Amino acid sequence: MIHLNKISMVQLFCLVILTQVGVHILTIPSEESRHSGHDAWMSVLVGGVIAQLVIMIIYWLGTRHPHLPMPQYIISLVGKPIGIVLNLIIAVYCLESSLLVVVSYADVINRWVLYATPWIVQVGLLTAIAGYVASSTLRSIAAVTQIVMVMFLFCFVIIFISGLGKGEILHIFPIGSHGFGAIMKDSLPAFWAYAGYELLLYVFPYVKRKNKRSILFIMSAANGFTTLFYVLISIIVTFSFSENQLKAIPEPMIFILRQFHWPVLQNLDIVFITVWLSVTTVTVYVYLFLSARYLAFVHIQEIRNHSFLVWILAILCFAAAIWGADRQRILQFSAYHNTASILIVAVLPAMLLLISLARGRRAGFG
Amino acid sequence: MNSHASLEQNEKMLRERLSESSDFKVSSITVNGRKLCLYYLESMIDTSAVQNHILQPLLSLQWTQIREAVSILDYCETDILDEAITAIVEGKTVVQLDGASTLYVLGTELKKERSVNLPVNERVLRGSNEALIENLQTNLNLMRKMVATPDLVVRTYKLGKISNTNVAVIYLRSVVNNDVLAEFERRIGRVDTDFVEAPGFLQELIQDKKFSLFPRMLVTERPDRVKAYLMSGKIVILADGAPDCLIVPVTFWAFFQSADDYQLGWLIGSSMRLLRIVCFMLAISMPAAYVALVTFDPRIIPFDIALTLQSSMQYIAMTPIIEAVVMLITLEILREATIRLPNPIGQTIGVVGGIVIGTVVVQSNLVSNMMLIVVAFTAVASFLIPSYEMSSAARYLTYPFITLSATFGLIGLELAFLMLFTHLARIHTMGIPYFFSGVNGETVLDTLVRGPIKMLTKRRKLRR
Repeated sequence: MIHLNKISMVQLFCLVILTQVGVHILTIPSEESRHSGHDAWMSVLVGGVIAQLVIMIIYWLGTRHPHLPMPQYIISLVGKPIGIVLNLIIAVYCLESSLLVVVSYADVINRWVLYATPWIVQVGLLTAIAGYVASSTLRSIAAVTQIVMVMFLFCFVIIFISGLGKGEILHIFPIGSHGFGAIMKDSLPAFWAYAGYELLLYVFPYVKRKNKRSILFIMSAANGFTTLFYVLISIIVTFSFSENQLKAIPEPMIFILRQFHWPVLQNLDIVFITVWLSVTTVTVYVYLFLSARYLAFVHIQEIRNHSFLVWILAILCFAAAIWGADRQRILQFSAYHNTASILIVAVLPAMLLLISLARGRRAGFG
Repeated sequence: MNSHASLEQNEKMLRERLSESSDFKVSSITVNGRKLCLYYLESMIDTSAVQNHILQPLLSLQWTQIREAVSILDYCETDILDEAITAIVEGKTVVQLDGASTLYVLGTELKKERSVNLPVNERVLRGSNEALIENLQTNLNLMRKMVATPDLVVRTYKLGKISNTNVAVIYLRSVVNNDVLAEFERRIGRVDTDFVEAPGFLQELIQDKKFSLFPRMLVTERPDRVKAYLMSGKIVILADGAPDCLIVPVTFWAFFQSADDYQLGWLIGSSMRLLRIVCFMLAISMPAAYVALVTFDPRIIPFDIALTLQSSMQYIAMTPIIEAVVMLITLEILREATIRLPNPIGQTIGVVGGIVIGTVVVQSNLVSNMMLIVVAFTAVASFLIPSYEMSSAARYLTYPFITLSATFGLIGLELAFLMLFTHLARIHTMGIPYFFSGVNGETVLDTLVRGPIKMLTKRRKLRR
């Protein structure tokens, strides 16, 4: 009983947003501002639009197979051998995503909060908790995610209260001075920051929908919310730091939080990093769950023991994460994963959609 | 085994089967030349009923059939000895005519019960002041009076191989979820023990196997509460000898509901509900948060408050986690002592516990002032939870929370909460999710808050 029952629209909304946002919130827009400088917020916006296009593709693919999850129909679509290989690749990709989030956030915690705790304990803790959540049913996962949404909103409030303090509005101007090319070029690193909506590939048949279009509507709303969130953060950051400062600061949000003082709490950055941990955990466990589900269809028959698969994958993830103590390695891995996610999240569904359309038409004529 | 036609033979067999008990009595009388025998347990029968409704008519009236003479409602005939023996044990009187093997079983049980009293464990300000008692029939009577509809189904079971405890299961047929009912009946049919101690045994034997600290059945002594749950399609288990009943399947939120919530306005009711849930969180996490703050992240606390904290902790030798655990255990000991002690001495505990331990421990620099405040507050917060089971769960959860936050600081606290919520989200009772109710946001109105009555009273089947 991995699904037990369908998830609601609200739960889908929370799942998508919280899978999308993750470690990136701290670094945005430092990667996106390499070429576009203070116009980084436009790159981030373009990234959101690209994500929206991919969502359309995934949704279209989903409507063609409304009663089966992706790992099942992929086999009927491209044949058994290729389907199994693709499932395996997607499972590996999902596991990689979990791994990347675990090591990146453990790295953040290691540098800002728990300096003395050994690396192996930190990644162990993160993977253990994610494995525990991911081994539940989809509906339980959705319920936990709904609770984490409360913490997310809390973080949202913290960010905006502290971000609207000191700053210089002139930092944002002149708008668009870096040129169209630079903005487009910088929208690519944002792609991985938006990744997470691809869970729809799997979740599509398990959503309780009121009418035909409501899934697309909810997905777009969730993506729109994430885009808005990212763009606002980019604006807050460019509002607080000049372009030259931006180049030197890899995690601007932390500095903004640190300089703000509430009468009841000091060092908001620590509070934020702590609370934000649960939001990143969502990304980890959702990907771990997806990975296990894709892996379940790699065998000739579906492997029914979900929690066993999850724990195997969690142990793998943990073993790989131990090697992530070196920061350089994380950065390389992150750059590689960005490319991988473009391939898996955008190119693969597009190809599948084309195949599905071609086959559908042929079936129609035949 | 069938009964014997001869009175002497029968008496012998009965004595043997009842293990030669001293309170087993046989009295024989002769009427109109016919000899007849009364078999009964002296300790179980209502003597005046036997005298006035059996003996007197038998001796004074002209009769040919026993049924004509005795004036007792609960009457049946049998010639199976085992049935007669069970009846005797229950307090019935068995009559036999010489020369016939038919046994007449007459209901003469002595009913010993206290009157319906005020609720002791679940007090409210407004609302009914009746509580269930130890007698099953009286309890059923209370329930029938509260829910006067033919829709109310009462099913009785005899549980316990030796004790043969009467257990009644009641529900409203039109509202109950049939899947849940079937699952419940399957489980109660599987119960196999020698004796049943209600409600504790039943709870353990029926509920889902998954381990959890959290109670998954609601225990209540208030008939008005039972009524409210019946209306929302729950199944209620009443047992003989238990002044409490079990309600199943309930969600996590039921443990924070009190009858008062529905008597006061919905805004006030909601705020009380919210207060209880916040206190539940505090009871779990307050010492943990304090330990995390003072050991890991004093940076978060504003400077002036940090100074106060520091001055209170200056001379304390123990680390905060040990301080916290020691004080919490002390509190547990005091709490248990107050429950067990007889009333007149109970007051002493307040003096010894509150004044001696509380004050002196601080004066002698064993535990810091601040920690004492935190622990005392935690205790008070845990008492706000209406269900004793839930408040115990909260108190025991404190320890893993403290351990995690003493090792990982606020991050440990955060992870502890995440694990708690996941654990809750994974529990199911009878196939109904325990923690998240109403996936469509329907029954959500009676969880964190208490919505207006108009929105709550629509009856609907529980969803699976």
